[in-house]
Amino acid sequence: MKKKAFSAVLAGAMAVSLLSACGGNSQPQNIADVSSAASEPASTVTSAEPAAQEMTFVLNNIPDGLDPTVTNNSFAQYVILNCFEGLVTYDSTGAVVAGCAETWDISDDGLTYTFHLRDGLKWSDGTDLTAEDFVYSIQHVLTPATGAQYVSMVTDYIKGAQEFYDGTGTAEDLGVKAIDAKTLEITLKQPTSYFIDVLSMWVYDPIQKATVEANGDAWSTKAETYVGNGPFKVTGMSMNENVILEKNENYWNADSVTLDKLTFRYVLDQATALTAYESGEVDGVISIPSSDYARLKADKAGVQTSPSYGTVYYNINCSVAPFDDPLVRKALCLAIDRQSIIDNVVQVDAQPAYSFLAPGYIVDGKDITEGRSDYGLSATADVEAAQAALAEAGYPNGEGFPTLHLSYYDNDTVKKVVEAMAEMFKNNLNINVEVSSADWGIFYDSVVKGDYEVCAMGWSADYVNPMSFLPLFKTGDSTNNAFYSNADYDALVEQVMTESDPAKAAELTMQADAIASEDYACLPLYYKSNSYLMHDNISGYFMNASGGLFFKDVKVS
Amino acid sequence: MLKFIAKRIGTMLVAMFMIILLTFTLMHAIPGGPFTNPKGMSEEVLAAMEAKYGLDQPMPVQFVNYLGNLLHGDLGPSYKYTGKTVNDFIATGAPVSAKLGLVTLIFVLLTSIPMGILAALKNNRWQDMLLMAVATIGVTIPSFVIASVLIYAFAFKLNVLPTFGLDSWKSYILPVVAMGGYSVSYLARLMRSSLLEVMGQDYIRTARAKGLTEFAVVTKHALRNAMIPVITVLGPTVAGLLTGSFVIEKIFAIPGIGYYFVNSVTQRDYTTIMGVTVFFAAFLMAMVLLVDVFYCLIDPRIQFDA
Repeated sequence: MKKKAFSAVLAGAMAVSLLSACGGNSQPQNIADVSSAASEPASTVTSAEPAAQEMTFVLNNIPDGLDPTVTNNSFAQYVILNCFEGLVTYDSTGAVVAGCAETWDISDDGLTYTFHLRDGLKWSDGTDLTAEDFVYSIQHVLTPATGAQYVSMVTDYIKGAQEFYDGTGTAEDLGVKAIDAKTLEITLKQPTSYFIDVLSMWVYDPIQKATVEANGDAWSTKAETYVGNGPFKVTGMSMNENVILEKNENYWNADSVTLDKLTFRYVLDQATALTAYESGEVDGVISIPSSDYARLKADKAGVQTSPSYGTVYYNINCSVAPFDDPLVRKALCLAIDRQSIIDNVVQVDAQPAYSFLAPGYIVDGKDITEGRSDYGLSATADVEAAQAALAEAGYPNGEGFPTLHLSYYDNDTVKKVVEAMAEMFKNNLNINVEVSSADWGIFYDSVVKGDYEVCAMGWSADYVNPMSFLPLFKTGDSTNNAFYSNADYDALVEQVMTESDPAKAAELTMQADAIASEDYACLPLYYKSNSYLMHDNISGYFMNASGGLFFKDVKVS
Repeated sequence: MLKFIAKRIGTMLVAMFMIILLTFTLMHAIPGGPFTNPKGMSEEVLAAMEAKYGLDQPMPVQFVNYLGNLLHGDLGPSYKYTGKTVNDFIATGAPVSAKLGLVTLIFVLLTSIPMGILAALKNNRWQDMLLMAVATIGVTIPSFVIASVLIYAFAFKLNVLPTFGLDSWKSYILPVVAMGGYSVSYLARLMRSSLLEVMGQDYIRTARAKGLTEFAVVTKHALRNAMIPVITVLGPTVAGLLTGSFVIEKIFAIPGIGYYFVNSVTQRDYTTIMGVTVFFAAFLMAMVLLVDVFYCLIDPRIQFDA
């Protein structure tokens, strides 16, 4: 009975939303049609009782943990972002806005940030949340026994953090101080124009000292001890089954939260998740099987696409011959038909990429990548130019070019892309290509060691600022697996890091981008976007550029 | 008999030690580790993580430590899931898998044995042909195909059964059929051929000559012997069903133990690989031992050579 009522409501909601969708697409509607459709029995159901503010959203991967101070796993963000709130948070436009901190002041030298917390901040268990809690949390991250995976996001910026982590500095010397219960002062190592962006990462979320000390690492594994401060609190948690969230009455902005209950259900099989979505058992799914994307989109089945601050690219090992020659790398970049890969292989809504640095960072109302060069690349392959570059490098018509090894990690989509790329290399450059795959652990091990020629890679930024990309090609950086090295590039990145004026930093960033891109430091494929499914009766959700989905403004109708 | 069981347990312990040693060695031989991370963890964070879990110690020391903890029933912390222990995984996952497995086992026994008997008794008649055709399909089609077809038909098209989970009795139907399909078919075929063989033997003719009813001949005389090959297979089948199926659990989003068995390997979660392997091995060995004990209860001719 309950289920029947639910599907009736759903049918009603869908009928209503279908109408609004039609209205939006083709304005001159037949009035008679609309009114007859609206007087269908469905309308009586929807008006009878308001929809329960409850929903189920499917996640396809189990995170490695839900402790915001420990994990850097993107699969954890759905729970963390909705159960915790840092000093700053995101709004529906994807901009970083005030969170627990109502306002903040930045000293003239750009080194000292003073945060003024909101009145009456509370933990989900009803106790007071003070500036001390933020101090404790950051110290917890900087304690090696915590095993914090994002520790560099703190040690790179905050004064005394590295020393505290190494055990050579004390809490006294750490640049995080509670001036009083409502004032937090953070002192940086060097001026950093993008520190507020960094601060939006969940590694800066507060965790409750009493809970952590009483339960150790296990505090984040049980609903009873999972104390947060966000719009929702956890009321049920079962390792590989689900996490149940309910509205947190102690959230500072609880009045604006409508959704009462949000169930994150783990369904690892994408096909099962899609069936459950299409049969109305669940309200949304975090990913869409690429083979169904076009159909769902055509059916207007609730496909949502949101730009992501990330790039899919292929690493070219710049430290081994013949790939140490920028001309060879240029030839590889030119030989790829990006549009065909996007449309026919990956089947997503994505923009072809000509640089590793994704668009999406805005300074003074303008995307900093606006109007940048395409570095001679285009959406389709330019066979002639590719051949010319290869000939210039000493391999006319591919003659004498050693067999290219193209490696990737086990993943169905990546496999298809690699196969398509291998064909393009073979046909457009007339060279031999050998493809190999391994599971992620083995694959990544060989990439880090530089034991590869061309390999599948990709990057999703942790915070929306180009600095989350630039270290990828900086000499000696732990994420520089392309082994690209250019002193000018390194110097520019150093300057961006310490530049306090965002406009100046943006300019330097674009110079650095041009250096790496003109050297073809990697083979960019496309800029990422995130696609997920949500039924039309759900509204008010939004996704930030890191793929984090926020439910605090969600309404079910 | 007790002597036999004691001796078998002794052999099992040796086998278990070998399994632990082999798994431990192989697992550490695969490149990559539990903390291989795309975000490029710095050397010092890696060192801190390894120190936290004792992975910085020499391999033999790690092995001895592991054995020591194992003797206390402690399978160690997961390296991958912060704050979780392998004991947690088994304690929460195994009962779910076992529950589904038990229902599947009952389904398998209640369908396969009657199917086999019926097919044997109606040898070469249409009932036999039909049942064996079904059984052949069941043996040859992989469970994930059966599962997908069932989901498509009953959850998507007809919308009468739930797609995933184990929340109500209805949600058991699809996973049980998909998971049990192979065992039902295999056991039915085995039951049929075994019973056919027994029915051709002299003592059955004698029983019939004595004027026993056909029912008594089959149930009292034939079945008992015909069950022996079935019971042999039943041991590993029971272990397999009760410890869950990764494929079925994944397709139906059932939070069982199968997830850990496969994912721990790809994630190099060393303690979980070890823990789940030890758990499975112990379970399988116990089932095989149980089967051996059953043999003698069913057929007194089988002796324990202690």
